[in-house]
Amino acid sequence: MTIAHAESPRPTLPPEQRTNGKQTLSAVEKLKPLTTACAARIESTLGRAICAATIVGEDGYVLFKASEVPDLGKARIKFGDGRTTELREVHRETSLDLVMAQAVGITGLRAVSFGAARPLAMGHWLCSVADAGKEPRIGIVSAKIRRIPGTGAALGIRMDEKSPEGAKGVRIIGIASESPAEIAGLQENDVLLAIASKNVAQYREVHDIVNKRQPGEIVEIRYLRKNKEETCRVRLASRTKVLQNWEGEDFANGGISLRTDNFPEVLQHDIPLLPTDMGGPVATLEGKVVGINIARVDRVTTFALPVEAFWTEAQQWMQADRHPPKAVRAE
Amino acid sequence: MLSLCTPFPRRAATILVVMQIIAAHALAAGGSDKSATPMTDIAALLQVQSDVQKLLPQVRLALVAIQTGGGTASGVIISADGLLLTAAHVPGAPGKDMRVILEDGTMTTAKSLGMDKTTDAALAQLKKREKPWPFVSLNREVAKAQPGEWCFALGHPGGFDKARGPVLRVGKIVKQTANSLHTDCVLMGGDSGGPLFNFTGEVIGIHSQIWENRDQNVHVSMAPFLRSWDAMQKSEIIKTWGIGAGGYLGVATVMSDDVELAVADVIEGSPAQKAGVRAGDVILSVNGDAMTDQQQFTATVRARAAGDTLKIKLRNEGKERELSVQLAQKPQEEGQ
Repeated sequence: MTIAHAESPRPTLPPEQRTNGKQTLSAVEKLKPLTTACAARIESTLGRAICAATIVGEDGYVLFKASEVPDLGKARIKFGDGRTTELREVHRETSLDLVMAQAVGITGLRAVSFGAARPLAMGHWLCSVADAGKEPRIGIVSAKIRRIPGTGAALGIRMDEKSPEGAKGVRIIGIASESPAEIAGLQENDVLLAIASKNVAQYREVHDIVNKRQPGEIVEIRYLRKNKEETCRVRLASRTKVLQNWEGEDFANGGISLRTDNFPEVLQHDIPLLPTDMGGPVATLEGKVVGINIARVDRVTTFALPVEAFWTEAQQWMQADRHPPKAVRAE
Repeated sequence: MLSLCTPFPRRAATILVVMQIIAAHALAAGGSDKSATPMTDIAALLQVQSDVQKLLPQVRLALVAIQTGGGTASGVIISADGLLLTAAHVPGAPGKDMRVILEDGTMTTAKSLGMDKTTDAALAQLKKREKPWPFVSLNREVAKAQPGEWCFALGHPGGFDKARGPVLRVGKIVKQTANSLHTDCVLMGGDSGGPLFNFTGEVIGIHSQIWENRDQNVHVSMAPFLRSWDAMQKSEIIKTWGIGAGGYLGVATVMSDDVELAVADVIEGSPAQKAGVRAGDVILSVNGDAMTDQQQFTATVRARAAGDTLKIKLRNEGKERELSVQLAQKPQEEGQ
């Protein structure tokens, strides 16, 4: 039995007619060969989606988000036609948070065709891929192309600033929800002893070690729990992400990326995507790929690396890998 | 639901529960529009793009960022002498001084005027200056903002950011209620008070709240602004609207096991109680129209203003009776 007090029946736009509903998306269906067909899915060896990838070479070369895939040995790539294979790392570019890899033993792929991103104005429609590279989604260029400064990496812990005299290590007094520390299993009252093999005795030392690293990097932590020494591996996240969670702002975001800042240039758009959709191509309605999604930042913001920020370099990585210098026999 | 000033209040858990109840009711109401709308094609999307890009250079000049003691928000200028629309939860009370930032980064100040707390509508006044303020018009034909229409939102989500500028979102109207518009233009903290535009560049909504999903964004429509304009200009606070929200009867209904519309509860002191409606009564008809479900009954009551009289036919223990009930205004403490 339901008791109704108020809501009067008013027409609601059915989901299929909304901006990213079936009806609107049918318009961009014809762009599929230029977008979704040029995307692949990076997944764990257990089949869990990690991120999307953009196909840039017919012979298996792909680009995707580096901080989401620290170890290619623990991931594999799955293409739209069902082919699944291992990945070989070609180049890792931390400044761009991009990895170029080659899908082992794969040929006959469809590579994206790049167009220019910088001339696009606010309000220009963009099309991208969701659901690990399978489904199209649309949105618009929603702000200026710009640089995003870095805020450093964070664990997501509050530390005891005044450790008792003679006590070992640094005590954790608070942990942010869904933070790298929580995911790694750290708890309140654990005492940090060493981070990345460096002993720590003051909270400042923890801060300095962590802050110098990049979001996405893994550090090993040795700590004391109930007088017993333990170790864990923590994958660091952007300080902005951790702070947002701490202030309760991650409500209704649908999750955000580990690394959300420190990019030389980004194209901001409002396409509804998930962190696992990062790495996929972003195209105009004319079918030109203008960037690669690089960070899901908050409920309204996705950053894409504009093609101008990476493609010249990426072509060189691919070229050098295809044609490595050969040893010349001495005459 | 969550108001959109930053920083967010930390009450997400409660909010989610409320949202689910509302969502369940909306589903029960089942009011989906089955009418065929023209298929969207690339050309239609490009027309939307071209329209937005033509309007943007003008309308964005009227957008402002607002800093209050509690956080950052947005607003929009709607007259040359600097009248500003924003959300009531931004200033919180009349007579508050607010720091206002224009698009080019220029800082100025504004004072909050009146507000409608039941709908989250508020007015503010920018300080006087010699040259006119850039402004946009507001739409007076509120009913024209119908589900399916394209619209676009501007705001300063997360606060003013000179390098980024204002953030644009394009979407569709999902629902219109008596005082609000729901769209799939995705909003977040800092957008509060910012404008939602139609495709003639008029303001049709002011960003107010979000629900959990990205296509659940709530804007105050122009209806409460237009209704309470004079009061708000006089810095009054409105806490209740009897007529605009429909008349108040004061019963909760339930579908009985026999699939009849029954009264589950009668609110103390309500018009229904005064007229003699009792819990357990089966509602047969209103003004001669047979009542068969809760939504139909709610709509019938809400379609009439406070002061109107309804003839309600009831049945209890096999006996039928008819009562006259004069609808009242919603009690103040109930809010919206």
